[in-house]
Amino acid sequence: MGRWSHGRGCRRMSVLDHKLWRDLRGNAAILFTVVAIIAVGVGSFTGLLSIQRILRNSQANYYRQYRFADFWIDVKKMPLAAAERLERMPGVAAIEPRVVFDVILDMPRHDEPVTGRLISVPTRGFDRVINGMHLMRGSGFSDTRDEEVIVGESFAKAHGLEPGDRIEMILNRRKESFVIVGTAISPEYIYVVQGYGSLAPDPEHFGILYVKEGYAREILGFKDAANQVVGQLVPDYEQDVDVLLEQIDRQLAPYGVLSAISRRLQPSNRFISDEIHSLGITALIMPSIFLFVAVMVLNVLMSRFAQSQRSIIGTLKAIGYSNWQVVEHYLSFGLLIGLAGGVLGIGLGLSIAWGLMQLYRGFFQFPTFQYEAYPDLLLIGMALSLVFAVAGTAKGVRRVLQLHPAEAMRPKPPERGGAIVLERVQPIWKRLGFRTHIALRSLFRNYGRSLTAIISGMLATAIIFAALTMRHSMWVLLDYQFEKIAHSDVDLALRDSRSVDALYEAQRLPGVQYAEGVFGLTADLRHGRASRRVTITGLPDPHRLTTPLDDRGRPIDVPPVGLVLSDKLAEQLKAGAGDTLELTPVLGERQGRRVPVASVVREYMGLGAYADLRYLTRLVDEPPAVSSILLAVEPTRVNALYRAVKQLPEVSGVNVRAQTKVNIEQTILRTMLFSLTLIILFAGVIGFGSILNASLIEIADRTRDIATFRVLGYRALQVASIFFRENGIIFGAGLLLGIPFGYLMVRVIAVAYNTEMFRMPVIFSLKITLLTAGVAALFVGIAQWFVLRQIGRMDWLEGIKVKE
Amino acid sequence: MAMKFVAALRRGTRPSGNQSMHAPVVRSRTSLLRLEDVSRVFGMGEVEVRALADVNLTVESREFLVVLGPSGSGKSTLLNLIGGMDRPTTGHVWHYDDDLAVMSDEQLTDYRRLKVGFIFQFYNLVPTLTAYENVQVATELVSDPLPPWEALQMVGMADRVEHFPSQLSGGEQQRVAIARALAKRPEIILADEPTGALDLQMARHVLSILQDLNREHGMTVILITHNAGIAKVGTRDIRLASGRITEVRVNERPILASEVTW
Repeated sequence: MGRWSHGRGCRRMSVLDHKLWRDLRGNAAILFTVVAIIAVGVGSFTGLLSIQRILRNSQANYYRQYRFADFWIDVKKMPLAAAERLERMPGVAAIEPRVVFDVILDMPRHDEPVTGRLISVPTRGFDRVINGMHLMRGSGFSDTRDEEVIVGESFAKAHGLEPGDRIEMILNRRKESFVIVGTAISPEYIYVVQGYGSLAPDPEHFGILYVKEGYAREILGFKDAANQVVGQLVPDYEQDVDVLLEQIDRQLAPYGVLSAISRRLQPSNRFISDEIHSLGITALIMPSIFLFVAVMVLNVLMSRFAQSQRSIIGTLKAIGYSNWQVVEHYLSFGLLIGLAGGVLGIGLGLSIAWGLMQLYRGFFQFPTFQYEAYPDLLLIGMALSLVFAVAGTAKGVRRVLQLHPAEAMRPKPPERGGAIVLERVQPIWKRLGFRTHIALRSLFRNYGRSLTAIISGMLATAIIFAALTMRHSMWVLLDYQFEKIAHSDVDLALRDSRSVDALYEAQRLPGVQYAEGVFGLTADLRHGRASRRVTITGLPDPHRLTTPLDDRGRPIDVPPVGLVLSDKLAEQLKAGAGDTLELTPVLGERQGRRVPVASVVREYMGLGAYADLRYLTRLVDEPPAVSSILLAVEPTRVNALYRAVKQLPEVSGVNVRAQTKVNIEQTILRTMLFSLTLIILFAGVIGFGSILNASLIEIADRTRDIATFRVLGYRALQVASIFFRENGIIFGAGLLLGIPFGYLMVRVIAVAYNTEMFRMPVIFSLKITLLTAGVAALFVGIAQWFVLRQIGRMDWLEGIKVKE
Repeated sequence: MAMKFVAALRRGTRPSGNQSMHAPVVRSRTSLLRLEDVSRVFGMGEVEVRALADVNLTVESREFLVVLGPSGSGKSTLLNLIGGMDRPTTGHVWHYDDDLAVMSDEQLTDYRRLKVGFIFQFYNLVPTLTAYENVQVATELVSDPLPPWEALQMVGMADRVEHFPSQLSGGEQQRVAIARALAKRPEIILADEPTGALDLQMARHVLSILQDLNREHGMTVILITHNAGIAKVGTRDIRLASGRITEVRVNERPILASEVTW
């Protein structure tokens, strides 16, 4: 008996399997829209998490193998003996005293000055020290010559430098010529940026140069001394690093601690870690949205499917198929859709990971950065696909279960006519025409389907709007920081503070129209329990080349007394205008002074603070001095200025504002273009897929009406116009809801990415709104084209005979 | 009132003559419709089905032609050809001087739109449109239609204009469908089993409207049915079997719709 029923069960299943395949084939287009949405969800999940893991593993391996430091202490100058004492502090595993020295390089075929960062390394075993180097090309240092340099790989590439080439720089008023003996990368500069202010690598204008330790000390005036200590912690000490840094800061106070930072704040590490972090967030948000939409769309699809097959279901039940067998049959739809979505999604995910990897190769330098597929992620992706697809069939399956055979075998009751709410406004309703009437009634009657399409449209619009707005915000931010606040053409950083007389010298440089000196003071600011080490910018009176702006974008004058804080710094210190802070300079006596906060200004980068230059130098009992000089330059004579600046040993760095901005723009443009294109395409899949899905269902349901219209003499386009109206309304509603929702998304994202380094301005732009509408319309348009094609290809001679 | 309708309808029934939609053909044909050696073969490769074989048929203006035949006799194919929904495999379908057999899809659409009013067995009303709006579906297609309200009045549905198809009986739905067909003022009313889904009472009502359109308003009606009881309503009836015309009968005295029985 058992065997018999088993056998019968098998035979039954095979018949149902045939039906399954035919149904799948018959609804291929509709099903594909759902499969595509699932695939994008699974693809973004597996792709983003894969590349995240590749990045994280590459980073971790690199850090471990080349002993990436746990902390960095920058001092003015300290004896090596003092540095060695640090090694005995509890928590410190190892330290490495170094000399780090920024110089101006005279690169041939390069008019503008280039900043090089000299870092002292041992002649032998430089790959085993803390922040060890990985030699890419060349042989490394020889024993015979002092003037050798190993240059950063990206810098070498940007300037076409090869081992054997020479590089010239002015050190201690002497022109030195170094021989390049290799190129290298280091875990300290996976993302080669100069400091916090730099958002993007600029290998044309900034590079790392590794020089022999002994020689560097000798020519840079650091005999038995160093100006930076990098160190590693004993295992499991990371959480106490801040306490340790405070102790070190106190211990090294006599030598002037300019900064003491842990890994967390190290620029290169921070960029990569932030990237890894945000990949994780995106990998959570994107798939959630897509799989949510997929479930909704699939639910609409399956319940309609159950509805249209009610008499078949009734017949199957009537001839003795169990509920479970029928349900199993309909569940198989979900499973197969899930399987297809999973397979496509995994393929998409692998491609996304591969594409992002190519992108990251342009920014991040690892000794090994290998593409890898992670079976566990792929399996999870597949499981997600199956689970969500089956969840999407739940409503349809419930309908199948609820059908009683006798009731189900009767044909479905005819489509109910009846007025919808809108018809109460007769004067308007009457003007709309019957095609709009059909569209509106169909929207209102199939509200579940309509709502799904509208929500999908809303999400698609919101994603596009958010992505475009974020890109726009980046532009606004750059414009704000590099145009609205800063107005200088060229900034010269001086190696040491100079008296204000340096300004007169600067004014005499070729091409200089106007020069302004600023004084940077690194100090701890404390308010109550909150404390931050910042560099306060002392501005002259008047300050024409730097204009801090208040929260309404109005330039403010720095008052003769008190500090002007950036909003983020004020927030960190929990201080506002009128509060009094304790200011402790990191150099000299470290005597605390009480200073009032005069006002708060808005800034999107860093933790800025401003004060009057004379007020600031008076605070530290020094005569007025300048540490950098800002220049307004006659555009035609800028190259003459560059040539002159290259000869000035007191200049440690040059920043050309326009160039920096363009570099950031181009780098960000490149990164964003890829992700933006991807995100917009994905959003398009939602918008396009759900609208097309709704239309295809509608076309299937309205075969007879469409055929009738065609027989009566309507052209395909005229019939399609009913669907255009319907989709137009869905599109409009989705847009109307999507824009505010997208704006909300941007606000939430802005909060999530609000850091000391960087804040995103949230700006509502009409242009972006119109652009979003345009992009969304394009996707709806493509869906419409499919609708039109479907209607044009319909066999209406058959359709006309369909019984209601 | 009736006279006004007659005048209104007649405007649409005059022969197209030199108003022909297409380049005039040299030979002049005065008949409304003329099928010349028409064959229609379906299927390709191994199985060929000859739905119509060498059919010759002329339909004059103001005729009430009933095409009788069992299922599979080729009547639907004939209707599709006359209605401009399909083209013959060989032969010609002349509408005055225009050959439907060589028309493009666009031209056939224009033909259906301007010359033919269709009535279907299952009414084919749009369920989400009211009776009035269903008639509007047709009137929007032509430049000089009857107002939908008048068309509905002619079929006795003036008091149900705001009703949806689901709120109407089968006979009422078919009357709306007839209103939709006549509102365009077509030259030809093409009715495919218009009473097939109706009981006798309702069928008589629908047939009397068609007869009225033919007699009072001068419209050419071509009615296709398998129901021999209806044959005598027409001025002529032809019988189809296996794709050929087997019998043609002229009814000197057609019976009234109310006399129909089955």
